[in-house]
Amino acid sequence: MAEAAAEREWRSYGISRRSTHTIRLRSSAALAVVTVLAVLLVPPLVQLDQQAVDLAAKLRPPSWAHPFGTDDVGRDLLLRCVYGLRVSLLVGVAAALTAALIGTAVGATAGALGGWVDRGIMRLVDTVSSVPHLLLGVFIVAMFRPGVWPVVISVALTHWLSTARIVRAEVLSLRSRPYIDAAVSGGASRWRVTVRHLLPAVLPQAGLAAVLMVPHAMWHESALSFLGLGLPTHTASLGTLIQGARGSLLVGQWWPTLFPGLFIIVPTLAVAGLAGAWRERLNPRRRSELTL
Amino acid sequence: MLELRDITAGYARNAPVVRNASLTVAPGEAVGLLGPSGCGKSTLARVAALLHRPDSGTLLLDGEPVRRWRHRAPRELRTAFGVVFQQPRLSADPRLPLADLIAEPLRATGEGKAAAERLAALTTTVGLTPDLLSRRPHEVSDGQLQRACLARALALRPRWLVCDEMTAMLDASTTAALVAAVEHYRRSTGAGLLAVGHDHVLIHRWCDRTVHWKAPSS
Amino acid sequence: MTEGSVVLSVRGLSVRFLMPGRRTVAAVTDAHFDVAVGECLTLIGESGCGKSVLASALLGLLPGNAQTTGEARLGDLDLLAVDERTLAGTVRGRRIGLIPQSPAAHLTAVRTIRSHLEETVAALTGTRGRAALRSAAEEAAERAAFPGDHLDRYPYELSGGLAQRAATALALIGDAPLLLADEPTTGLDRDLVDHTVDALRHHVDTSGRALLVITHDLSAAARIADRVAVMYAGRIVELAEATAFFGSQGPRHPYSRGLLQALPDRAFIPIPGMPPELGALPEGCAFATRCGRTTDACAALPRMMNAVACHHPYVPEGTRA
Repeated sequence: MAEAAAEREWRSYGISRRSTHTIRLRSSAALAVVTVLAVLLVPPLVQLDQQAVDLAAKLRPPSWAHPFGTDDVGRDLLLRCVYGLRVSLLVGVAAALTAALIGTAVGATAGALGGWVDRGIMRLVDTVSSVPHLLLGVFIVAMFRPGVWPVVISVALTHWLSTARIVRAEVLSLRSRPYIDAAVSGGASRWRVTVRHLLPAVLPQAGLAAVLMVPHAMWHESALSFLGLGLPTHTASLGTLIQGARGSLLVGQWWPTLFPGLFIIVPTLAVAGLAGAWRERLNPRRRSELTL
Repeated sequence: MLELRDITAGYARNAPVVRNASLTVAPGEAVGLLGPSGCGKSTLARVAALLHRPDSGTLLLDGEPVRRWRHRAPRELRTAFGVVFQQPRLSADPRLPLADLIAEPLRATGEGKAAAERLAALTTTVGLTPDLLSRRPHEVSDGQLQRACLARALALRPRWLVCDEMTAMLDASTTAALVAAVEHYRRSTGAGLLAVGHDHVLIHRWCDRTVHWKAPSS
Repeated sequence: MTEGSVVLSVRGLSVRFLMPGRRTVAAVTDAHFDVAVGECLTLIGESGCGKSVLASALLGLLPGNAQTTGEARLGDLDLLAVDERTLAGTVRGRRIGLIPQSPAAHLTAVRTIRSHLEETVAALTGTRGRAALRSAAEEAAERAAFPGDHLDRYPYELSGGLAQRAATALALIGDAPLLLADEPTTGLDRDLVDHTVDALRHHVDTSGRALLVITHDLSAAARIADRVAVMYAGRIVELAEATAFFGSQGPRHPYSRGLLQALPDRAFIPIPGMPPELGALPEGCAFATRCGRTTDACAALPRMMNAVACHHPYVPEGTRA
């Protein structure tokens, strides 16, 4: 019977399941790459002045010369949008990173120390959460002169709370694992347990939270700028572009608001798709499909 | 001498899982603790290894009462205990390769320099092969991972070993091999053992003395 | 054992996994065995020897990177060749009842045992109507000796033993001719192990089902099995009658002997070394490096002869040729 084994026909299972994930992942990655390339390459490579005013061509609808049309002083909207996206993305990424760092530090401290430190920190988190984000953001921005960094600080200080909660919950659930007991018994200090065993385990989660926060931070920036409290109006960001164009919407000129709006949505979709794929990879069972 | 006197311990207020338990382990002695699952014997084992603070009662270590648990306990006291748990998957940091897993206590206590040499000795003691050391926990079998967990428990040459259902998930041959490794270590160092389990045959064969436990009446 | 009474017939079943970097892991190789009506076959072996993979293959629950060959006949059906729809619609629950490894995790935490039973009864037997479902569910619970006053409890309110009975009750509902128990006693106390095993045995004896038990617990196997299949490194190396295997005659394969000698109520001596990697099996006998009877002949793969795959099997006393 062993001889028969030489000529075997192998049957496979469940190959098709993966294709949809791949399509979603690929399209999201493509969107993200296009966004990042546009933001990084267009300004240095395209020798056009985004501030070039052409009053003769103001408020033109989309055409071959100006694919996104022009604004109320005749500036090319495609170029303005790319520059705006650049500023918005910068603010978004910087704010999300800062927020994730603060959130991870606070959450890990609360979870690892426990007791009254944990209770105190979490009450503070609850208190800050109870104030509407935008209100708090406006308050923080108002303390500084308008500019990019006050907006980053404002967004970061209002967005670290969710990361802190996620990281704390994760640390709490890990803290009762036998491997933490084994580390304690192996002489590891509190610091070592946190840095070597707890933090590396929550970093993927915290990283995911940070990535998902980028679009959030971009919206927040847009909202602040739209209210006239964010970036100075001459700096093109997606928020200031929409704010500057809201008057023309009332007279039927749709393009100055539509395109900056789309530029907020596209990175959001890309980030959501990539984060979803990442979350799937975090699922430890997928690391090795084989469990014997 | 390891003495647990009148220990009451639990995880929620007013609902202790261990009530008024007392137990003594002499140096070099192997004591088995037998009882059905859910009777709180694992909790008692964690109290004995300074990993869980009891609600009341005293733990005497060589006549000295222990007042602090977990991180607050002095490092020399904590590392006097080697612990092995029931489920190797949960007892191993999933990101550390087996070599780091075993050497972690040495690094944590500033003996990292001696790690390579000690690692080789420990690997032989528990019957692992060097090629497995570069693997992560999900790439080895339960039996191999439990061998690594035992090696980690022995890394700091503890005076007391606490084995909480160490072999419940393992096959007969690996069980016998791990028990043999524990006994080999105890013969050469004179360490005391508290072995918690529910398999009468195994515990009676393994230990000098056996304590039977019943579930708390509530 | 007559031909007609065979419930499950496995012929040349192999399972391999395709791993990254073109590696393959041969989890099960060339398994041959039958399970007959009213019989319990116990598949024993250490963790990682491929026995759970074999169970998954029979239920069609292998992951996407697995490949199979050979056949596993359950009546007129080849379990390895049928599609997922057939497996879900006519096999699982109806022709194979699964008794899972950790019953508490197998049950849905937010629903009572009664609602589990009623749902399964409705899905498998086509019983309709509230009163009919209710009485059918109570009947099902009674068959597995699950106490009626615990029916409205949630899984987490049950002890390990009762959760195991609930899972058994669910597995019995479809009147499947084959019961498959995958490590049914892991983590249970000795007394509970004995109880669970006796209950399973009782169902086999009274209802004429076939039972395939997969376990690493040798004492549980000794208590329940009619026949024993020993698995090592993905291959079945010995098939034996349980009375001979656990009795004075003893097993014939050196690995099986070693396993029994490792028991705490026997010699309590481990088999030296560790089993080989399923991804890097040797050319010849996979047990040769750990075996006391190895000779040059062991460099070749031993064939299954008289139900043992070994070049130097132990020969039972009195039957020496």
